[in-house]
Amino acid sequence: MAADTSHKVLFEQYGVFIHANSGDGCIEQDLLVSGSIRLVDKDGEVLVEYRPLEDSVDPSNMLCAGKDSSSVMEWGQSPEDRPHHGLEAQHSYETEWDMVNAVSFKKKTCSNGEGALNHSHERNRWAFTFSVGDLSSVTVKMDGWSYLFFKLKEASVSLPTLHFHQGGSAEFLDSLRRCALLRESPEDERCLLVSTANRALSQSFENLLEDNNFGLVHKLKKDPYVTTLGGFSKVTNYLFDAFRGAEEQQRRRPPEEVADLLGEVIPGLEINQQEESGFEVITRIDLGVRPEVQRGEPLSTEQWAEHQDTEGRILNVPHLKQVIFKGGLCHMLRKDVWKFLLGYFPWDSTLEERKALQRAKTDEYFRMKLQWKSVSEEQERRNSRLRDCKSLIEKDVNRTDRTNRFYEGIDNPGLVLLHDILMTYCMFDFDLGYVQGMSDLLSPLLFVMENEVEAFWCFVSFMDQMHQNFEEQMQGMKTQLVQLGSLLRLLDQKFWNYLESQDSGFLYFCFRWLLIRFKRELSFHDVLRLWEVMWTGLPCQNLHLLVCCSILDSEKQKIMEENYGFNEILKHVNELSMKLDIEEVLRKAEAICLQIKGCKDLPHSVSDILGFNTDEVTAGDPWSEVTAPRKTSPAPSPSPTDRGQGAFANGHGLLRESSQNGCGVSFVS
Amino acid sequence: MSGKTSLLKVILLGDGGVGKSSLMNRYVTNKFDTHLFHTIGVEFLNKDLEVDGHMVTLQIWDTAGQERFRSLRTPFYRGSDCCLLTFSVDDSQSFLNMGNWKKEFIYYADVKEPEKFPFVVLGNKVDVTERQVSAEDARQWCQENGNHPYYETSAKDDTNVAAAFEEAVRRVLATEERTEHLIHTDTVNLQRRPRSTTSCCS
Ligand SMILES: Nc1nc2c(ncn2[C@@H]2O[C@H](COP(=O)(O)OP(=O)(O)OP(=O)(O)O)[C@@H](O)[C@H]2O)c(=O)[nH]1
Ligand SMILES: [Mg+2]
Repeated sequence: MAADTSHKVLFEQYGVFIHANSGDGCIEQDLLVSGSIRLVDKDGEVLVEYRPLEDSVDPSNMLCAGKDSSSVMEWGQSPEDRPHHGLEAQHSYETEWDMVNAVSFKKKTCSNGEGALNHSHERNRWAFTFSVGDLSSVTVKMDGWSYLFFKLKEASVSLPTLHFHQGGSAEFLDSLRRCALLRESPEDERCLLVSTANRALSQSFENLLEDNNFGLVHKLKKDPYVTTLGGFSKVTNYLFDAFRGAEEQQRRRPPEEVADLLGEVIPGLEINQQEESGFEVITRIDLGVRPEVQRGEPLSTEQWAEHQDTEGRILNVPHLKQVIFKGGLCHMLRKDVWKFLLGYFPWDSTLEERKALQRAKTDEYFRMKLQWKSVSEEQERRNSRLRDCKSLIEKDVNRTDRTNRFYEGIDNPGLVLLHDILMTYCMFDFDLGYVQGMSDLLSPLLFVMENEVEAFWCFVSFMDQMHQNFEEQMQGMKTQLVQLGSLLRLLDQKFWNYLESQDSGFLYFCFRWLLIRFKRELSFHDVLRLWEVMWTGLPCQNLHLLVCCSILDSEKQKIMEENYGFNEILKHVNELSMKLDIEEVLRKAEAICLQIKGCKDLPHSVSDILGFNTDEVTAGDPWSEVTAPRKTSPAPSPSPTDRGQGAFANGHGLLRESSQNGCGVSFVS
Repeated sequence: MSGKTSLLKVILLGDGGVGKSSLMNRYVTNKFDTHLFHTIGVEFLNKDLEVDGHMVTLQIWDTAGQERFRSLRTPFYRGSDCCLLTFSVDDSQSFLNMGNWKKEFIYYADVKEPEKFPFVVLGNKVDVTERQVSAEDARQWCQENGNHPYYETSAKDDTNVAAAFEEAVRRVLATEERTEHLIHTDTVNLQRRPRSTTSCCS
């Protein structure tokens, strides 16, 4: 890789089309041009490039157009494929998580006119390149797919509309947002006005966003001094710069714009504006006092019996869930009630229906079990996937809850069942196979069910919720860590700043908590309690994130007073294992939930995480196609790209008239 | 004797189940726990020791071996002073994967001069009778891949465990003398907080 090359592809998307007849009403009817759009950093200047594939294609070829979609390096591969030095190496950390494909750009880029269209060659008639600095606005529309219309500052130049038939428009805008500020036009919410006036400020947002994506280690290398300041103070500095600049030169960034952006980027922040421009007071959202919350008694067998009609249907489920949420279940009930909580049994099914279901599910289970059971040694020798699963499972079964009476000793039947269910799950979901951590999730289920088939189907239901945690890219983990970051920041800016100052803002120390839902942090029986409470779906969605907040809330004092660094925080958190009081943790988690719920100016990003405004979520949201959860996972967690989306979808509601006599920028906590 | 205690960071890498956690626990707590969980996430333990007159706090990092968790463990490679490449002598696959572990480490630890970086290779579980990897094969690999020292260990029987970790320390100290740095810059960062155990006689 030539050292002098300074082309860096920030974003690339194939399958982007120009509809030649719909754009500027000319030439051949129905001509579809397929090509790719790129965002390229060229010597610090960011260019948007559109390149058609070799030739324009007619609609009949459209399906195969752009199918070889990548000249972009995949970072998920083994290290030997990668260059060991050079620019990209520094980025490996982010890209690993981000899947942002930051690679040096080898193909020759067309070097003509900044902001001008390239009409010179017939073949390249549709290619165009312009600098983001010359972009005035992007209009986003939706019609089965998203399409973008770019308007340049130079009004005489018009560009064809780009149709993202294969998705990627939201990601494109996300990337664009990293180099420019986009804000909704007051006249048309679909129109995003672009400004790049103050690079320093947009840079600061980029940094903040990157924090969420774990870019910190990289940054630390580059600039340890800046990084040790909290993310918040970074913004302060940039704000000062921005406003100072604004007084001196022409004012380019209206304060509402800054307010909008800050509010979304930093949950918990509210910007009060006065009529007079140039003076802002930034306050933190007042969360109000945290209410006192009581825990209740576990659901008793009598209560459970009262909630069933003569045919075995479960009555008044919301009330039931409320009781379970408040106090859990007495142990005897778990075997029955968990099946409902996990969704294996429908609440409104009759006893008869459930028996029939069990019969069918038993057949299905043994059919799948037979599949791996009947693989001969010969076959196995030629099936490395199966062999790997098997060997991993064998290793892990021997290292899961071995002190529990159900799994202790050698030749304990519990071990065989654990093994067999996990193997059968490989047959059930071969794409996922077995990933470490799954044995931890199964063990309590099997312990409670004491039945291979029922434990299996409960496990299947639980895995539906947890699937994303274990997928190749561990998207579920990334999403949750980002979401947790938003919550922590809202709850206690000071603690969040501390974590960031100790390079711990990416919350690695919560990884095990989240991957296996506190299985290793609590005593076995407390795990049972926590899980059944979680499965009620009360008092809000993603309770487990509030459980994290609750635990950290109890530890933050110590962490900050003792001035724990990166290593000590990790160690301290790891050592909390088996020392937590589940009822106390849950009590505080619920209290935090109520506290947040009671806050009226909650940033949308936070209400989305906790599902407070699910009914408000706009049905025609043009981004739903992009952010829809993958595969079978019903997990309602929005993907991390939501932060970008939120930043322009919610640019309202955070501003409040203030009578405060603020001068300049100050922080009130 | 130098009055200074250096903090050395070593990291155990190798396939899942080769015995990384067991080795760490054996060395630090002198126990072998057959009930040990497989590792999820990242853990570390500290141990103070004296090697050739140098007081050293060894910070031993233990990670999860499964491929899937790469993005979790790799950020912790940075700042390592030594890498303990571990395989199990009763698992030939774990031996074959060592090259990959080494590459992964060099890449993510951002090692400037991989040829000079101290690696120590551990063939664990030598107490097991059904070996799949012979000592000769292992030695040969070490020779061909940078002349790394090789130790056959058993966390179970406490064979060579301390020797292997002490060798790691020696290697680090040797490299540091060569480069005339007592402590790597990265380890200084780790040492940010003053330790209470630096006094000479306790
Ligand atoms: N016979 C024998 N067994 C060992 C030895 N060391 C570890 N084991 C066993 O091998 C299994 C795996 O050991 P761990 O220490 O958990 O392996 P690990 O490398 O930490 O594995 P991951 O955490 O999954 O990456 C456990 O059942 C240990 O009891 C040894 O020296 N001899
Ligand atoms: Mg381990």
